[in-house]
Amino acid sequence: MRQRERLTPVQMRELEAVDRALAGEPVDADLRELEDLALDIRANAPQMTPAFAAALEHRVSEGFPTQPESTIPRRRRRRWMLAPAAGMLATVAVALVAVVGPGGNDSAVSTTAVSSQAEPRATVESVAPAPTGAPAIAPQALQSRSDSADRTVGRKVERNAVLVLAVPRAEVESTADAVIRTVDRFGGIVHSSSSDSSDATGGEATFDLRIATGKLDEALAALSKLGHVAQRSQSLQDITGSFTSAQDRLAGARAERRGLLRALGRATTPLQIESLRSRLRLVRSTIARLDGQLASLRRRADLSTVQLTVRGGGTRDEGAAGGDWTPADAAHDALRVLEVLAGVALIGLAIALPFALLGVALVLGVRLVRRRRREGALDAV
Amino acid sequence: MDAHHQNTSTLSFDALFRESGRDLYAYVRTLLGDDASAEDVTALAYERAYRKRASFDAGRGSQRGWLFGIARNAALDELRRRKRSAPLVADLPDGQVPAAAEEAETAVRRTTVRIALAALPPRERELIALKFHAGLSNVELATVLGTSESNAGTRVHRAVMKLREACNAPA
Repeated sequence: MRQRERLTPVQMRELEAVDRALAGEPVDADLRELEDLALDIRANAPQMTPAFAAALEHRVSEGFPTQPESTIPRRRRRRWMLAPAAGMLATVAVALVAVVGPGGNDSAVSTTAVSSQAEPRATVESVAPAPTGAPAIAPQALQSRSDSADRTVGRKVERNAVLVLAVPRAEVESTADAVIRTVDRFGGIVHSSSSDSSDATGGEATFDLRIATGKLDEALAALSKLGHVAQRSQSLQDITGSFTSAQDRLAGARAERRGLLRALGRATTPLQIESLRSRLRLVRSTIARLDGQLASLRRRADLSTVQLTVRGGGTRDEGAAGGDWTPADAAHDALRVLEVLAGVALIGLAIALPFALLGVALVLGVRLVRRRRREGALDAV
Repeated sequence: MDAHHQNTSTLSFDALFRESGRDLYAYVRTLLGDDASAEDVTALAYERAYRKRASFDAGRGSQRGWLFGIARNAALDELRRRKRSAPLVADLPDGQVPAAAEEAETAVRRTTVRIALAALPPRERELIALKFHAGLSNVELATVLGTSESNAGTRVHRAVMKLREACNAPA
């Protein structure tokens, strides 16, 4: 439609004559015909009726009331044009949920049930690394353990825990001392311990602890406050079956021993006596073994095993004892929030950008099509 | 928008209406060919312009050119609607009745011009209306038509020449 044409001097002169005629200015004599034509066209300009002119003037002066009064039906607003914006918002929301959902709470506590081949179902709890300065363990986790302890009343349950504390390199030794003091405070036993102060690892102390099962929760809470909890997990195993089985077999062995002793009292021949003594030795051996098994099972039920590692190399912030929320923690948390927000914004932008470009192209396309249709309407008259 | 600003805008829009109302109607009427549609479209164009007055950018052309652009879109939409429904046979505008003292020659000439104008293709009739009825400059014409000033001038010139030929053609 657009034509690259330039006006010739003659054309320019004629158009200027037209403009002059319309402006009421004199026109060169040789262009009088154009002047007449311009004036005739102007004189033929359609005129508004006085009634319409008055009505329109009134509406203009009233500022067009909110409700359109035009008799021409207006096109319905194209709400679908808002679809790209709505899509982008939804995308950002999904990205927010995706980023914050699983990763927003680093100290997520998971509780799963696993089955043991020989024993009834055991409950395993694990605590993922908690953020710096955050409370060592979520209250729900403690509540969960209390509930599991309640359910095990009257049963023999073996509990084991693994705890990894991250502390600054310089505080490995002092933390190790604090571990021992804490274990003593709860009447526990340091079954074994080792310390590695090499620079390569940043220093590490490991402890194999035995703590009374009844005090395990309190002891773990106290131990968790000694450093940043990098890992924490617990497992429960119901050993009631093994315990009652050993008890039954022990009772049987003892009954057999009593029977053998009575038979020995009634034995008359050296051969009988020797045979009964031989069987008694076996039964006594069995009883001793079963006693040992029962004692071991009791120990497993009464004393929980805690594998504790104090790992050096963390920053001072990470090594800060949990529970106290300091300004440094707040700053760290704020930074973390900003990081998450920036991540969400970046993901949202990456997803939304193609949609935005598509939306812009769509809008431009719609405008182009509408323009062509309008021009087409002019051609079709 | 505060009350003072709104009042100022309204006054400005009133001035625009007073300055352009009759020209705009003449242009729309010439394009559409009937009074009823022309009145509706004229009213709609002013209403749209009033509601969109905040979006007017003086850097992109005159207010008059902007207004006629809105009117043109409304008129073309009306033509499209009309195409979908029933075609309307354009009736010739009555034009100004020459005064009694006016020469008969002038009356005949103007009637000839009116008939020739009605017979022009719509695009050229529109150009004539924009130039002679609306009184737009070539720059404003270019804004309304979405073309260059030079191209607008060329097209107007061509339409004028065509109209002149039609007027001079033997009946």
